[in-house]
This record gives sequence, structure tokens and C-alpha cells, in this order.
Amino acid sequence: MMVLYEFFAEPLSYAFMQRALLAAVLVGAACAVLSCYLILKGWSLMGDAVSHAVLPGIVIAYVIGLPLAIGAFLAGLGCALATGYLEENSRVKEDTVMGIVFSGMFGFGLVLFAKVDTDQHLNHILFGNLLGVTPRDLTEIAIVAGVALLAVLALRRDLLLYCFDPQHARAIGLPVRALHYGLLIVLSLTIVAAIKAVGIILVVAMLIAPGAIAYLLTDRFDRMLAIAVGAAVGSSVVGTIVSFHIDGATGPCIVLVQMAVFLAAFLFGRRGGLLRRTRTDRSGSTA
Amino acid sequence: MMSELLVPFTYDYMLKAMWVSALVGATCAFLSAFLMLRGWSLMGDALAHAIVPGVAGAYLLKLPYATGAFFAGLLAALGMAFVRSRTKLREDAVIGLVFTAFFATGLLMASINPTSVNIQTIVLGNILGISDEDAMQVVIISAVTLAVLILKWKDLMVVFFDEAHARSIGLSPFWLKVMFFTLLAAAVVAALQTVGACLVIAMVVTPGATAYLLTDRFDRLIILAVAIGTLTSFFGAYISYFLDGATGGVIVTLQTLIFLAAFYLAPKHGVLAARRRRNGALLPETGDADEVLK
Repeated sequence: MMVLYEFFAEPLSYAFMQRALLAAVLVGAACAVLSCYLILKGWSLMGDAVSHAVLPGIVIAYVIGLPLAIGAFLAGLGCALATGYLEENSRVKEDTVMGIVFSGMFGFGLVLFAKVDTDQHLNHILFGNLLGVTPRDLTEIAIVAGVALLAVLALRRDLLLYCFDPQHARAIGLPVRALHYGLLIVLSLTIVAAIKAVGIILVVAMLIAPGAIAYLLTDRFDRMLAIAVGAAVGSSVVGTIVSFHIDGATGPCIVLVQMAVFLAAFLFGRRGGLLRRTRTDRSGSTA
Repeated sequence: MMSELLVPFTYDYMLKAMWVSALVGATCAFLSAFLMLRGWSLMGDALAHAIVPGVAGAYLLKLPYATGAFFAGLLAALGMAFVRSRTKLREDAVIGLVFTAFFATGLLMASINPTSVNIQTIVLGNILGISDEDAMQVVIISAVTLAVLILKWKDLMVVFFDEAHARSIGLSPFWLKVMFFTLLAAAVVAALQTVGACLVIAMVVTPGATAYLLTDRFDRLIILAVAIGTLTSFFGAYISYFLDGATGGVIVTLQTLIFLAAFYLAPKHGVLAARRRRNGALLPETGDADEVLK
């Protein structure tokens, strides 16, 4: 017991670890809520595309002196819109267009980065720098993630219907187009918040794994949201602490803990599926 | 001025970078002609990320990087197939889960052993600084892949367009697809050294998609795609000399620019051509109707 206490208490005696943990939990929770919708909508790889595409936005924002978050947000949104435009106006398939757009933007971002002298570390943008989160960063993350989280929770019924059955949503008079772009905006916002924590490349993991874990464990959307957030927050805490002890990169540790939880759900969830069929028997023996 | 432009050709490392890139570009472009037909584009991306721990492990153990890459790629492919067969999760979620898990493993390995594994080289490529040993592996992999493709492209074409027909003329779609994905994995492993894990997807998608906008005949599509892939990779490496790096970024930026040019200007399938056709074919008043229909 004492060992376990030390395991968590020692890292938390450092201020930078406290900030890192807080940032990881915030980002994890925001990504987890969104991931439930992305899983249903089949947009898992949209997160991948948008996150890569923010790179040129960050560099350009730096050059013209805007806050980096704004540049990143606009570039991410631009990627999603450009994908839609190119797909509607050519005979190339959607997944191909998505690949072309985000890789093109990422490549262009790398070229810009090579030409511009910045005080930003490319490694920090790519892989995140959770341990270097400043109090100001933390405020920024909290605001961006908070706005994204509130927006999703406020619209959660409408978004759910839209993701699950867009035709039906349209039929009962929901503003489907607005929901579509709303979801893209929230996605871009969340990614901007998450970049500080886990970097461009691993954001997509945080946007898929929690939803996938929850999807394996329950059929009800309310529970899915709760499980996803719980899994993500727990993984963020454990991953950050583990990374401190093994002296490894934080982002990958969080992602790998999430994957371990997914594996557990994958193994347990199949039995859970069996248990669900006899719902009455289960009430006393959920442990 | 002229002599300045020729400077890259006077360095051995630049010559090596340019022709190795061109070879990789040609191989990937050949595959891209097939890949984008089937909606498998993101498989290329997933594979490129999934082989990263293999490459990192190979550098740690001082093995040829290609062996580690193949091993990791195979494991990832099996992992995706397994998770997919046992859950109701959508395919894109499964692909995303597995490749990010592998990629995170690679990053973690590199962060624990920063001296023996340079993660930036793996993720962003470093063709200008490639070792002779790695260059040799890239050349062998690309050459073999290209040779197999040249011998088998017609069979692959039949399978990709019409599996029933392929079966009726005695081809095995299953084995040809296995072969295709093996070749794709090989090309991805080679491309990793030129443009890095994050940009491999452009190499195996963009040239094919560009050619698809320019022609309706598949043999011409392949030739165009290979030409685009070869030239952009060669000149991308060339231009990166003047930028002191970012070779992968330059190559992919060139490819994207050419795609955008084709998207607007292609004689038959371009946006401008479609607009011209619409204006030519319809009278002004029916033009309004056309707008309404949209």
C-alpha cells in the first residue's frame, strides 16, 4: 500500500507534474467525449487528418504574430472543408482526397518550418511536451477544451442523432449542415487543445481509443460517454505517472495505457456481451 | 546563376538522394494507381506508422531496418484483422487504434533510448543523410517491388476492377491481394527513408489520384502516375538542397500542387472543364434550373 502511495505521491510533489497531470486529464476528458461521436459517425480518421493539417497553421500564425492556437484551429478546419470541397468536385474517393489534403498540408508545414526561424521545437509540436506545460498553457488548454466539452454536451442529443442516423435527423428537422460543421469545429478545437499534451501525431489515438473501449462495454450511449471519460481520465493519470517513473515520453505512455485498457475491454467485453444477453442474472454480479 | 543551380549535382550525397528518391517515388506511384481505386488509401498511412517500432527496434539491435519494419508491419496487419473479426467496431476505428498503438510503442522506445534511435529521422525521413547501408536496402526493396509490379500489373488490374472476371480466367484474387499488400508494405518501408512515416501516405496516394483526373485508360494512368512520382521525388530532393532539409515536405508539396493543378485544369475531369461544359451545354435559363437542382 505504501509503495502504491509513493508511486503516485512522489511525482505529484513537483509542480510541473501537477500541471502535466491536470492538462492530461482535461485533454483526455475532452477527447473521450468527442471520440464517442466519432466512433458512431465513422470519422475516426478525420481526427488523424485534421491533426496533421494544423502544422502549417501553427507556423504561419507564428510568422504573422497571431496566437498559435488560432492558426492551428483555422488550418485544421480548412483541411476538413477542403476535403469536402475536393471530394464533391472530382471523381476521387473521399479517403484518397483526405490523404492528399492532410499530407499536402503537413508537408507544406514542414517546408515552412525549415524556412522560418522559430523558438518552437518541432519535436514538441509533433510529439507534445506535457512536462513543459506552463501555467499559461494550462489556462489555454482549460479554456479550449472546456468550450469544446460544453458545446458537445449542450448538443449531445442532436449530435447523437446526427451521427447515428443523418437521414432521420434531417427528416425531423434538425439543422444537419450546422451540426456537421459544428462537429468539425469542435473536433478542431479539441485537437488544438490536445496538441500541447500529446502532440500532432498521437492526438488521433486519444480521439479513438476511449470511444472504442466504451463501445465494447455498453450499448447505451449515456453509459458509453461515462465509460469513455472514465477510461481516458484514468489512462491519462496512470500514463503520466508511469512516464515519470520510466523516464519515457509522456504522450506515448498515455496512449499505451489506453491501449492496455482497450485490450482488457476487448477480452472482457466479449464475455460482457454474453452476460448482457441474460440481463436479469447480471444485476448482482457485475464485478 | 546557372552554376548555382547545378551545385547539388556536384555532391555525391545529393546525387544519391536524388536518384534514390526518384526510384522510391516511381515505386510508390505505381502502387498508388491501384490503391486509390479501392478506398484503401489510409491503409498506406496506417502501415507507415505501424512499422515505426520495428524500425526503432532494428536500430536498437543493429539489425537491417527493413527486417524490423516488415515484422512490425505484419504484426499490425494481423492485429487489425484479429480485432476486426472479433468486434463490431468500424474498420476505420480498428485501423486507427492499431496503428496508433504501434506508433506510440515506437515513440516510447525512442524516448527511452534517444542516442541509438533518432525518432525525427524515422518520422520525417532523412534522405540527405541516409547511410549507404540503408540506401542499399531502399534500392533493393524498390527495385524488386517495381520488377514484380511490371510483371504482374495486368493481373492486379483485373482483380481490382472485376474480381468475378479475374476468378473466371483462373486468377486468384486472394493471393494477388496478399501480394499487393506485401508490395505496399515493401514500398512503405522504402519510402520511410525518403519522406518519413507521416508523409508516406502522399507518396502512395497522390500521384495515382492526379493521374486518375487526367486519363480514363488504366495503362496511361500508371505511366502518368509513375512519371509524376519520379519527377516530383527527384526535384523535391534537388530543391531541398537549397532549403537545407525538409526533403519529404518538398516532395509532398510538389505532388499536392500538381494534384491541385489537375483538379482545376484537367481537360475532361477538371473543375474548369466541367464548368465550361455546363455553360456550353445549357442555355442561361436552364442554367438556373441546374443551380436549383443542386
